[in-house]
Amino acid sequence: MKINLEILERAYISDTKEIIDLKTKELVPKMVTRRRLTRSAKVAVYLASQVSFTNGRIIYGSSFGEIPATAYILKSIKDKEGISPTYFQNSVYNTAVSYLSMLHNNKCEITTISSGDNTSQNILKSGAIKALDGDTLLLIATETLDIENIEEVNSCIDFLECGVALKVKVTQENANIKCDFKQNKENFPNSLIDMINIAKNCNNYDINIVEIEI
Amino acid sequence: MQINNKAYITTTSLSCCAGDNELELFSNICDGISGIKTDSTYFNNTPVAIGKIKSDLNFFDNLVSKCGEILLKSNLDNFNNTLLVIGSSVGGINITENIYFGEGDYKNIDPNYHNINTIQNILEQKFTFKDGISFSTACTSSANALGYAYEVITKGIYSNVLVIGVDALSQTTVGGFLSLGVLSSNPCKPFDVNRDGMNVAEAMACLLIQSKVTNNSVEICGVGYSSDAYHMTHPHPEGLGAKKAMENALEMANITKEQIDYINAHGTGTQANDSAEEKAIESLFGGIPCVSSTKSITGHTLGASGALEAIICKLVLENNLIPTNTFLETEENKNIDLVMKNIQQNINYVMSNSFAFGGNNCSLVFGKVQ
Repeated sequence: MKINLEILERAYISDTKEIIDLKTKELVPKMVTRRRLTRSAKVAVYLASQVSFTNGRIIYGSSFGEIPATAYILKSIKDKEGISPTYFQNSVYNTAVSYLSMLHNNKCEITTISSGDNTSQNILKSGAIKALDGDTLLLIATETLDIENIEEVNSCIDFLECGVALKVKVTQENANIKCDFKQNKENFPNSLIDMINIAKNCNNYDINIVEIEI
Repeated sequence: MQINNKAYITTTSLSCCAGDNELELFSNICDGISGIKTDSTYFNNTPVAIGKIKSDLNFFDNLVSKCGEILLKSNLDNFNNTLLVIGSSVGGINITENIYFGEGDYKNIDPNYHNINTIQNILEQKFTFKDGISFSTACTSSANALGYAYEVITKGIYSNVLVIGVDALSQTTVGGFLSLGVLSSNPCKPFDVNRDGMNVAEAMACLLIQSKVTNNSVEICGVGYSSDAYHMTHPHPEGLGAKKAMENALEMANITKEQIDYINAHGTGTQANDSAEEKAIESLFGGIPCVSSTKSITGHTLGASGALEAIICKLVLENNLIPTNTFLETEENKNIDLVMKNIQQNINYVMSNSFAFGGNNCSLVFGKVQ
């Protein structure tokens, strides 16, 4: 089965270590909220603002989730220290998008997918299936892997922080984005590459439509 | 989109602290025999009441075995034409913990056996699936997985979906919930005025969802999603998000609230969750349906709970038997029908609630095949 999605807006961002200027202070004016945000939450908030999405269904994804919080918890346990409740609540995979829902008072369905290297491919598939209901969805994926000693396990990713967002709806029109979804010459995280390639291949002057093979 | 197909739970298998199969689990639930035991092996030797699976197999070998059980019991010869949908909150964190706490560094940690996709990676060593996807929304993970299975079947995209809700105990989850101060030192007593917290537990629950009905099938009639947009760990105090999820599930199932005979509540035993859920049920249903939580027997199996409790709902429908709230002595909310004993009655529709960190809510409606 094939479903065509119109890419209404798209944004992506990356850095080899840490993305700067996510406009967090401007986008999250309440300090009490801002200080609790994880890196992936800050990336998600930034990307949602770039595609002008505040309310509606969201499918978020990450292969490794809140790895900085998880790493902190593991170190605390190893060192026989107590676990910070804030780090624990911020360690679940749906943390980033939960903060996004609170920021915009978005009470719609918001789900999180974690499918390893196929994460963004599965966001696209599930997004296309859910978009058959006729609404506009935000598809968003992040990886924030900048933890102490990350080099011990990372041998293949050049960008430790990365995120991509696509605002989509179903269309009956023909697809016009032709790209190899899996091409990854720049060494982005594989988990994000399908969506990044779509975002990169969108044309500013045309309606952008991509065919998703379910 | 026009929805035409129906989705049926046709085959199940499970393992949790309160049973290794459906009969054992349901007997223990109805007899009030809890699988929760005090254990000091997690988190700095601190004694906590948790639910540990009793098995000779290690956790993931047991999972492969339970997945194989589905093939033995179902009308499928293999999973080649089946979508695998995983719901898990921690994936392979216990594998990471064993390596990291033993060796003190990350060098031998395999990223493919750390994250949520660990479950799919392990199962794909033994079985071939048409495709796979994993949901991780904390304690609603496998409820959302079931909702997705319902969607892809009713939309005619798949005919067979294997949903697996799974979470192993880990020091991270036990220690994390300890840090939040919400763990009870006894088997929990949801909805009791004197409740003192929850029990973390592990479980695996496998459900084959198919578009064609078979003997002993139960229909998934609808799913309702919502977000609290309120707080990372605290539910909305009036249960507004929970109520919205239940309303959405009823709407999708195209039934009225009066048709729900029983609600298998999220009912964790924490002050905040139970209070919010009571208010949500009271606000939407009043005192009509019977309500109970089975977590005093199974513990809170986190990402596996939606799938495990879906199997319990199937057993409720098959047996026409509503299980009691074990250990409930004094109801906090007397305006909802918190059952104090097992009730044998004709049951047509049941609802299962799952709520999670981040205000993620998912309600499912199950019904007898009409």
